[in-house]
Amino acid sequence: MSSEALKKRKAKVLRNEAGPTEVKRGRGDGDQQDIRVYNEEVELDGRDHEEDFLQFKESCEGLATLMGEIQKLKASGAKEGCAEVEQKRLQSCNHFMTLKKLNRLAHMRLKRGRDQTHEAKQKVDVLHLQLQNLLYEVLHLQKEISKCLEFKSKHEEIDLVSEEEFYKDAPQEISRPQLTKNDPHQLTLARLDWELEQRKRLAETYKESQASKEKIQKSIEIKKEHLRSLQPGLNAIMQASLPVQEYLAVPVEQTQKHTEIAQHLPPPLYVLFVQANAYGQACDKKLTVSISGDVDEAKAMSKPPEDSQDDDSDSDAEEEQEKTKRRRSTAGGQLDDKRREMLKRHPLSLSFDLTCKDGSVLSLYFYYLINLNIMTVKAKISASTDLTTAISAGELVKSETLLSCLYSNDHGTETPNPANRYQFDKVGIGSFADYVEELGHPYKWVQNLGGLNFPSDTSEGVLVGSSLSASHMENTMKLLRGRVMSRLALHKQFASLEHNIIPVTSECLYLFPAKILSRLTQWTTITQEEYMNLTFTRHVTDAGLAKETDMYFSGVVERGTARLQAAVVLNPRYPEISPLFSLSLNWKGERSGHTDDNLRAMESEVNVFKNELQGPRPGYQLLTNQISRLCVCLDVYLETEEQDDGVEGPREFPREKMCLRTVKGPNRLKPFKYNHPLGLFSHR
Amino acid sequence: MGPVELLHMSVFSQSFSPCGRFLAAGNNYGEIAIFSLCAALSPDTSEAGRKPVLTFSAHDGPVFCLESFGGHLLSAGDGSVSAWNWAELIKKNVKAVWTRRPEYKASMEIPEINAMVINPRDNSVVFGGGDNNVHILDLEHGVFKSVFRGHTDYVHCLSVREREGEVLSGSEDGAVRIWDTRTSQCVHCVEVHKYQKCARPQFGKWISCLTTDSDWMLCGGGPSLSLWHLRSLTPTSVFALSGCQRRATFYQDMILAVGQGPTVSHCLLGGQVKAQIPCTPNNINSLELNTNSAEHQVLTVAGSSQFVDVFTNVSYRAFSLCF
Repeated sequence: MSSEALKKRKAKVLRNEAGPTEVKRGRGDGDQQDIRVYNEEVELDGRDHEEDFLQFKESCEGLATLMGEIQKLKASGAKEGCAEVEQKRLQSCNHFMTLKKLNRLAHMRLKRGRDQTHEAKQKVDVLHLQLQNLLYEVLHLQKEISKCLEFKSKHEEIDLVSEEEFYKDAPQEISRPQLTKNDPHQLTLARLDWELEQRKRLAETYKESQASKEKIQKSIEIKKEHLRSLQPGLNAIMQASLPVQEYLAVPVEQTQKHTEIAQHLPPPLYVLFVQANAYGQACDKKLTVSISGDVDEAKAMSKPPEDSQDDDSDSDAEEEQEKTKRRRSTAGGQLDDKRREMLKRHPLSLSFDLTCKDGSVLSLYFYYLINLNIMTVKAKISASTDLTTAISAGELVKSETLLSCLYSNDHGTETPNPANRYQFDKVGIGSFADYVEELGHPYKWVQNLGGLNFPSDTSEGVLVGSSLSASHMENTMKLLRGRVMSRLALHKQFASLEHNIIPVTSECLYLFPAKILSRLTQWTTITQEEYMNLTFTRHVTDAGLAKETDMYFSGVVERGTARLQAAVVLNPRYPEISPLFSLSLNWKGERSGHTDDNLRAMESEVNVFKNELQGPRPGYQLLTNQISRLCVCLDVYLETEEQDDGVEGPREFPREKMCLRTVKGPNRLKPFKYNHPLGLFSHR
Repeated sequence: MGPVELLHMSVFSQSFSPCGRFLAAGNNYGEIAIFSLCAALSPDTSEAGRKPVLTFSAHDGPVFCLESFGGHLLSAGDGSVSAWNWAELIKKNVKAVWTRRPEYKASMEIPEINAMVINPRDNSVVFGGGDNNVHILDLEHGVFKSVFRGHTDYVHCLSVREREGEVLSGSEDGAVRIWDTRTSQCVHCVEVHKYQKCARPQFGKWISCLTTDSDWMLCGGGPSLSLWHLRSLTPTSVFALSGCQRRATFYQDMILAVGQGPTVSHCLLGGQVKAQIPCTPNNINSLELNTNSAEHQVLTVAGSSQFVDVFTNVSYRAFSLCF
């Protein structure tokens, strides 16, 4: 240890002499004795800090022992400056020197470490900055790329002709197939060129057409002028021909008059008039149309459309005056007046006479309510036969119900124009139904015939169209005629039903066996309320099949002690919608379609399998055939009823009908179906 | 189908799908309707959920019987038996897999099939009807294996005693016949109306419902509904129900019976009538319990109306499915 310490001391001395290191190195470079040149930093490189630490520890321990020994010596009474103490002091000084050296080395090491860290950090910073720059550049480039990709050229919106067409039609100098075949870009350019070329051409044609159109228009004008100049001449000829017409009895003038009056009809009635006339001439010779009412009043109300403009304003002014006049009258009267004004009919009306095959005539009177913008109709039947014979049939030909539900759900009691509701609110009219008797029924089909179309959910958009009228005319006329025929047929049938005779025509005889023992004993009309009060009709009412517009009848079929009551719902659209029967049998206790499956089967026999019973088209004999079948079914029911073996005596109803089997199926139904040529009964 | 046809509709037969989620019902117009029980039983169901998911025309006459077996729906009514694949029906593909008709003796009209039961033991269908005979159709080969002749009027109802290899048939002639399937011979013939306890001469003698459970048999119709001990062939209890019963079944420790009248009767085995639960149809033709699915365990009842009543709990009617 001591030799090392000595070396250090020497080195230290040398350094102290030497000054700055560079100078030393320079000098060291100069002479060969660089070993002697001391550089502490170089020394630092050569030393290991672990070793230094151990050395430091050693020195500290050495120092501590030396101090201890000195203290011991002093305590044992050694004098100041005693050789032993002195020696020890020198040794400790050595140790101090070593410590100092180590301290310096430690400081230098620290500084170097710091420098190195700093340097490395700077390097990292630079790299980081570089990275940031690059990333930003990448982002920017990506943006540019996406912008390029998203670029939309104007030409893409242009509708180009297809490629094949292009190659076929375009000239070579535009299409340049050798260049464009493989280059889509060139191809698009070429196609655009071609498009431009074509458009230019089209623009030119357009201009030409425009010019020719103008030319034609001009020539039309000239021709019109010419035609107009003919009018006075023709009028003069007409005037001159009047005596000749009278002489030859040609009704040219009359129809002209008709049409002249028709000029004053309000638009819907006019549409109806024209369409009905046209239909009558084309398809239906038995339809006659006439106009009735006060023509002068109508003239006052509306002038022909030629000079309408000034007159309209005039009449408006008049109306204004009238209104102001009315305002002065008393409040109650005012409301009354308003109501009357609201429900005012046009003075002109149309009457149709529709003659049916058997000579009976259906008269229809069409009215137009000016302020409500709806049409109404009244109907009257004049039959070729006497209509007073059947009491129960009174409902059938009443004008109120005659036309109801011509189309389904068209009851004709409420106004079909949704705007009317607001008008009614203003003057306090609750429902149009109260005025129906006086004004006629506003059926929807009437509006359609007049070309009035009311969309069901909006209050505006009233459309007048003769096409609408024409589309409904034929169908409606057919329906009207069918309705009259069916009602008259029913009427006739009811007359005999009331006398307990079921009229079965020869065409329908095959539907029933020759011998029917059950007899109809009663046929009456009942009200809806009475119908609903019957217990055995509940299922019909519950199913919503008994409506207010329907007619209700009750019939009784009897045989022996058995009494079958049938309640019938007759839809106004009969025979299109067949009558609905509900049954109740009073025999050995009360039974109905509810409780007895066989009575239910009888009901379905007449209600469901009605198609067999329709007879010749259009099935006016349906009702009577249904009643006949009911009689037959009752016969079968009674004759096949199980005989209680325990009861003595003969059967009340001996079996006369031929049946294949008397019961069938899980619910033990009786054979109600009649097989015509064989004359026997079987199951469905 | 118009409103009048709906008004006069009768439902004769019902059957649950093997998965228990669908119900097939056959009506008097020869149609079969498939209802989805999931849709009908879901808490937020609407009217549409109670309408059939599929209605198709299956037979010319009424569909008197429906049975589900091995993924197929078997239907019968107008003399022939048809099979429909349940999986295809659910996908709304309507095509009969097969149709078989036994050779009937020449007759004016085609005899109807009133009853059909499955005999799973030998994989066959037993059915009977208008020709007074009971036919056995082997499902394995699709051939008619045997015919049981003996009834003098048409067959109303059938029941299979699987373990004993016996088939029971009830007929319009008033007899319940017990047949041995191996020999095709009639083993016993019970004429129910001859027993004083059961007879109701005011109605008649036909037997229209028949069910068996181990040694016990339920039968009724013209005669009162009665519980029979089969080994001794004696009636043990007679149920005092007013109308003629058309369908009866054992349910837990009770008997459920339906027929004329708008009620489902709950009877105890001892003979007492415990309850009569009202339902929509006035006469009931069919009563079916869904045991195929635990979550849709319902009782359905149908008859002379377009409605099929659903009971989620046997003691009250929950709602109706509608054709």
